[in-house]
Amino acid sequence: MTVHFRSTTLLGGIALAASLIAAPAIGQEAYRIGALNPVTGAGNTYGSGMQKSIIAAAAEVNAAGGAAGRKLEVLAEDGQTSAEPAVLAAKKLIEVNKVNAILGTWSSSVSLAIQPMTLASNIILMHTSSAPTLFTQNQRNLDWGFQSGSKYNGRAMAAAVKKEGFTKPAIMSFNNDAAINNVGFFRKAWEAAGGKIVAALTYEPKRTSYRSELQKVLAAKPDVIALSGYLPDTTIILREAYELGATAKFIIPDWAAGPALLKALGPDVSQGVLVYGTVPNIAGAAFKTYSAAYKKALNTSGEENVFGAQAYDMVISLALAIEKAGASADNVAIAKEIRAVSNPDGEKVTSFAEGKAALKAGKKINYEGASGPLDFDEDGNAVADFALFTYDKGQYVKRYLLQ
Amino acid sequence: MLPYLVTIAIMIGIYGLLTLGLNLQYGYTGLINFGHVAFFAIGAYTSALISLAGYPIALGMAAGTVLAFLAAYPLGLLCLRLRADYLAIVTLSFSEIIRTVLISEEWLTEGTQGLPGIPKPFSSLSQGNADLAYLALVATAMLVAILLMWRLSHSPFGRLIRAVRDDEDAVRAVGKDPAQLKIKTLMLGAALAGLAGAFYAHYVGYISPDQFLPLVTFYAWIALIMGGAGTITGAIVGSSLLLFILEGSRFLRDVVPFVSEVQMASLRLAVIGLGLVLFMLYRPQGLIPDRSQS
Repeated sequence: MTVHFRSTTLLGGIALAASLIAAPAIGQEAYRIGALNPVTGAGNTYGSGMQKSIIAAAAEVNAAGGAAGRKLEVLAEDGQTSAEPAVLAAKKLIEVNKVNAILGTWSSSVSLAIQPMTLASNIILMHTSSAPTLFTQNQRNLDWGFQSGSKYNGRAMAAAVKKEGFTKPAIMSFNNDAAINNVGFFRKAWEAAGGKIVAALTYEPKRTSYRSELQKVLAAKPDVIALSGYLPDTTIILREAYELGATAKFIIPDWAAGPALLKALGPDVSQGVLVYGTVPNIAGAAFKTYSAAYKKALNTSGEENVFGAQAYDMVISLALAIEKAGASADNVAIAKEIRAVSNPDGEKVTSFAEGKAALKAGKKINYEGASGPLDFDEDGNAVADFALFTYDKGQYVKRYLLQ
Repeated sequence: MLPYLVTIAIMIGIYGLLTLGLNLQYGYTGLINFGHVAFFAIGAYTSALISLAGYPIALGMAAGTVLAFLAAYPLGLLCLRLRADYLAIVTLSFSEIIRTVLISEEWLTEGTQGLPGIPKPFSSLSQGNADLAYLALVATAMLVAILLMWRLSHSPFGRLIRAVRDDEDAVRAVGKDPAQLKIKTLMLGAALAGLAGAFYAHYVGYISPDQFLPLVTFYAWIALIMGGAGTITGAIVGSSLLLFILEGSRFLRDVVPFVSEVQMASLRLAVIGLGLVLFMLYRPQGLIPDRSQS
């Protein structure tokens, strides 16, 4: 090896190798979707399911003859749940694969990092992130959030606390953007209704004990603790509260709960813990289609991955919007139709084929998705239905819907 | 294709600057710095905050570089008492402390929310041209850094720091103070990392504490070891090779049959790991070995 072997040579090598393999024969009218999902990294429990759901939904659209005659082509990448690799992956999708849309970015840090690139290239971005900045930077309505943001989580929590008759809530939050915003919006909603928060505390991730934090909060004698965290820390906190003999109840989000929490805590400790979460329309036709596709691709139930349902809905909503906008429409025109095919004033449809037929007949449609009714607010954030769950004698049971 | 290559080239430049800094510390002086990302983070946050406050980007970048340079001083004082492996632990902890500070000091850094919308230079140009101009800027910075490094390594100072690496007692015996030399190289290397951080922040446009994990430090180490420690060319070749492996593996999908998209993601990381292991087995001295050492 000589010193003449410089980075320029290498770059040339990359260019040559890449241009040889990156020129697939693409039909002129295909609509290319970049599936940029957290297959590895912190989001890996959801990423594979999201990617496979996107591929399955695209196959469903293509089987129904494509969207406005355009076939959907999916190009998959791994965002590694991390901003820098995701930026490079997105750059590759945009510049090399020439995708028209990027679907299924999961964490806020990834979505925030690639948003400037998608906006600059007029590319539609559909994500499941909740950072408020994502929605304020979305002036041209090219971006759509399929996960109900912190605002809705906070309001659901406040509604549940009120309905359960608590008067002295305290707040405990994991130290990250999403968790802090959830309890922040809870506080806002609660205080706007004239309530008072007796104590608030942010705790650090990855501790082996949260006893001192708990004692601090319990000293304020709350009757309920709004705890916003993740499965590992929630498990520790609930167990230690039980050991301390705390009388306050807990209300936690569903992503930190579920069967896994019950398994870790057992029926005694989990008894009476309240859980709020979005509910997919399990009885709906769209969910059944999604669930069957999910089962086929991953051999587990689609109910375990709410983000999979959201990723599936992204493709169907996008395809319906393309269908409505027409084959020659550009992304701005297509994005404008997303709201028009899913908001409440149209005829309810639950699959792409059904929606396509209704659109052909000149009707207004309202796609009711697998993940929820998919009605978008003014920021482009889907508003889901929330419900309150609880653990009772070792069973995870749904109590009622939250309004 | 071209804009993607430009992006990769920019990242090579950024990692190249980072690796050059580490090369000065480890390759020339023998300091095992496992906390390089701390200075990268200081440069990124300083430059981002200053430009977000409305001051010119150039000022931000300069301030980021200077602050990283200064931040290495207290760490350098500590290093005086520490030998190789202890230094590694202290620097690693230092980088985690910096990250924790970035998370906790929300009034300044917005904590885990991070800083979105960091201004990019050349924003009056079209996106493609702006990226090209940015590449030119990064390449210029890199060239200047290489020239300085070359001058440095051929100066008496360069010979002295190599002597510190090879035999500290011998340096002391001829009446030189190894401690001062160590502090100086630590600070200079940190300044390069700070500059790399500033370039990173303004290119990616969004920074948050979770982008400054120790992984970045070890990427720089990988680049340095693959390229060959103790040579300037090695640092540059190493960072090119690192990006080539990281990014080139994305195109495996097109040539490997019978693998689904999801499996591909894991396979890709496995290929990266395997590549590094094979490299270490068959070329432990790096692509460009240091001829001054036999």
